[in-house]
Parts: sequence; structure tokens; C-alpha cells
Amino acid sequence: MNGFLYGFTLQWKLDLRSRTMLITCYAVPLLFFAVMGGIFTSVMPESKETLIQSMTVFAVTMGALIGLPPSLAEIYRSDIKNAYQANGVPLSLGLILINISAFVHLLIMSAILYVIAPILFDVKIPEHLETYLGGLVILITVSLSIASIIGLAVKDTANTSMFSILLFIPSTMLSGIMFPSEMLPQTFAIAGKLFPATWGYKLMTDSAFSLQTLCPLLGIFLIAFILSGVLLKRIRTR
Amino acid sequence: MTNALEVKGLRKSYGEKVVLKGIDLYVRRGDIFALLGVNGAGKTTTLECIEGLRKYDGGTISVNGRIGIQLQSAALPAHIKGGEAVRLFAKWNRKPADTSMLAALGVDSIANKQYQAMSTGQKRRLHLALALICDPDIVFLDEPTAGLDIEGRISLHEYIRNLKAQGKTIILASHDMAEVESLCDSIAILRDGEIAFAGTVIALTEKIGKHYNIQIRTGQGLETYESDDIRASLITILKSYEEKDTVIQDIRVDRGSLEQHFLKIAKGE
Repeated sequence: MNGFLYGFTLQWKLDLRSRTMLITCYAVPLLFFAVMGGIFTSVMPESKETLIQSMTVFAVTMGALIGLPPSLAEIYRSDIKNAYQANGVPLSLGLILINISAFVHLLIMSAILYVIAPILFDVKIPEHLETYLGGLVILITVSLSIASIIGLAVKDTANTSMFSILLFIPSTMLSGIMFPSEMLPQTFAIAGKLFPATWGYKLMTDSAFSLQTLCPLLGIFLIAFILSGVLLKRIRTR
Repeated sequence: MTNALEVKGLRKSYGEKVVLKGIDLYVRRGDIFALLGVNGAGKTTTLECIEGLRKYDGGTISVNGRIGIQLQSAALPAHIKGGEAVRLFAKWNRKPADTSMLAALGVDSIANKQYQAMSTGQKRRLHLALALICDPDIVFLDEPTAGLDIEGRISLHEYIRNLKAQGKTIILASHDMAEVESLCDSIAILRDGEIAFAGTVIALTEKIGKHYNIQIRTGQGLETYESDDIRASLITILKSYEEKDTVIQDIRVDRGSLEQHFLKIAKGE
């Protein structure tokens, strides 16, 4: 097994041992799904059409924005980064491994929701599987890229949590997963378009991929990717 | 080249604050060398520059050989186990994962223990094992025995001497003068970003002079004197007691400790 593969499997195991990761990627999304799924489907029966997508958007946004940054801060705001440099390992390796591991965790959580939602609440599975899966992969990727900026930029773990929550709350409230975005005041609706959750939810519920939906996500990802590179360089050249 | 390390004119500033003002030092191959200094003297910055962990503003650093660095505590993820850390570092260095090194350091019990649950001593030994995985020619140790009990300290000293016997060069930062005196071939003392002394431990005591502590106990209590000329001082002190007709109960004379010499140079006294 080469170093990269061993590093990935090790990171995967470390995530499973981390209470923060387990709570944010699995426990809270499942609890939220159990409570809100029951309420949504009884108060608004039409939500059965999109419950899997909306709960998935919540789980991905929470797992990425709140779960990932502390793991990154643990490496890049401590002496752990010295272990990379001392052994001639690129600093970016930690960022890549943590992102891939979190990606797999979020994919598993999404699969759990996909399987149990129809059984528990008799909801409809996504009609267009290719846009649902494509949208899911893109949403996870873009959400993790934003979470990476928080983890690399913020100086300590306490501030990491604050910035994560500041991004997480508007992401979920304004994305249209709690209530249709058409019902939001115009300012909030526009603000909602700044977050990947809004576009991810739209992508996962659309019948086909459209450039209009893909372009904002691609734009957010590119900005986040460049910023992460700049932040890593700043950490390396201290 | 016989030197494992050569540093010339090393300079480093953090903004306006100049931390290293062009320091020169060298370490001979196979030596145990200690870099000393009070807190804030620039030890950590110097070592980090040499280890390649920190950029520097000017000067040259020549490291002749593969280096292994014993990192400080908190340099591993909280949930990683000892054995996993050894395997990870072995993968990074393309070396076989040999957890028997933990046994050699007396900490084979931590192979399945999470880092966050390890004691300070176990963490230090694990970091030493990790530093040796790449089979380095030069080993950097940061406070290697801090937090260890006497037994652990003695066995780790023995291990460090074995490393020297294998031909490895050891560069350590330490606050423990007894450790430095017993282990090191040469030392350098940093003061305000400059080398205040470089040489052997014996040369340090010679530089400072023959410094003595004199303690005299009388019925009135204990009096302490310091002297660089023991003969003249003793005659003067004893005469003064005779003149006062004071009965001396006990006299003790000892050479100043390395710690005293170190503090004199490090603080510029």
C-alpha cells in the first residue's frame, strides 16, 4: 500500500474516532432528518417529492462546513504541519486527504438518507438519478472547498466554529430546503444565491443539468480553490 | 568535510523584531551538541531554520547528511495510535515500518494507544522513534527528557549515547544543565540573537574562570560568599571571623555549577 493510500485509510479511521466528525457528519443530520422529516411530510405532504434532496443538502452542508474545518485547523494551526515538512511531505497532502475522507463520509451519509427516507416517511426517490447524483457530488465538492478556506484561514479552533456556524445558518435557511426560496424577501433570496447549498439543491431537484445552475457552483469552487492555495502558501512561507 | 552542520551569518526577523543577528556555528560529525539560551534567546528559531521548518532572511546553512527531527508534543493528531504513526512516517520515508523501535525505546505498549492518551514521556519517546525512522545522520532533539522520571531519563541518555556510538550527530535543545554536562561534546549559548559562547563544556568553565561558592555556618546562621580567587578569599574571610571572635561550625567550598556559568553568559552578567 503506498503512502497516499495508507494516509487516506488512516485519515478515514481518525475521522471515525473523532467525536466532532461523527456528530456533524452522521448524528446531527440523522436526528434532524428524523424530526424534520416527520414534521415536513405531515405538515406539507408535497415535501415528499424533495425530502431526500433537502435532507441531503442539510447533511452535506453541516458535515462540510462544521465538520471539516476543525480537522484542518488541527493540522495547520498546530505543530502537526511540522511533521509534514520535517519528512519532506507536501503540506497540501493533509488538505487533500482530509477532503477525500470527508467526501466519502458525506457520500455514505447521503446514501443512508437515500435508503431510509422512503422506508420511514414513504417519500419519493429522486426521479432523475443522474442529476441527483451529479448534483450531490458537485455540492459535496464545492461545500468542502469553502470549508477548507475556513480551516486554513482561521487562527484557532474556537474561531473556526464561529465562522463555520456563521456560514452554515444562512446556507441552510436561504437555500430553499426549509421552505421555497420564492417565499423569501428579495434581499434574502439574492443572498441565498451566494451559497452552494442553494445551487446544489436546485441541481439535485432539476430534471437536467443546466449551465445556469452549474456556473455559480464552478465559480465558487474556483475562488475557493485559489484561496486555499494562497492560504497554504502563506502557512508554508512563515 | 568533517562538520555535520555549518551555519554562517544566519539572520531572521519577525517584522521589526530582529531575532537572529547573524549567528555562526558548526557541529562536528558524530558530536552531541547542545544549543542553549534563556527563553526568547532565539533557540527555537535557530533550530527551525536549520531543520528547514522556517524561512530565514540571510546567511547560509549547510547540513551534511539526512536529518531526523524529534518534534514537540502536539505534533500528531489526537486520535492516531503509536503503531499507526510509525507506519505513516515509514511510508512517507519509504522505509519498512518497524514498530520494534518502540520496544527498543521501552514504549511498545503505546503501539495501540491513542496519542491523546499517552503520557508526556511516552509522547517524547514516540517522537524520538519517529525521528529515527528515516535512518538519519543528524538527529535533532528538542528537550528530549523533559517530563521523564529519573529511570526514563537515564535510559534515554543511554539510548542517545548509543546513537552517537552508531556515528550519528545529535543536536539538542535543552534547559537541563546536568543533561548537557553529562551528554554533550560541545555547546553554544545564544544571547539576544547572537552566539555568546561556543565550545566545549570544559572551555565554558575555563572562560568563566575558577568560580567558587563558600558557605560558612556559625552560631548566627549561614553566610554565603562567591569568589574567583579561593586562596585569597578564604584567608580574608577566616581572618574576619577570627577578629570578630566568631566560632565557625562548618565550612563548605564548591566549584560553581554549569548552570551558574550558563546563566552568567546567557544573561550577560
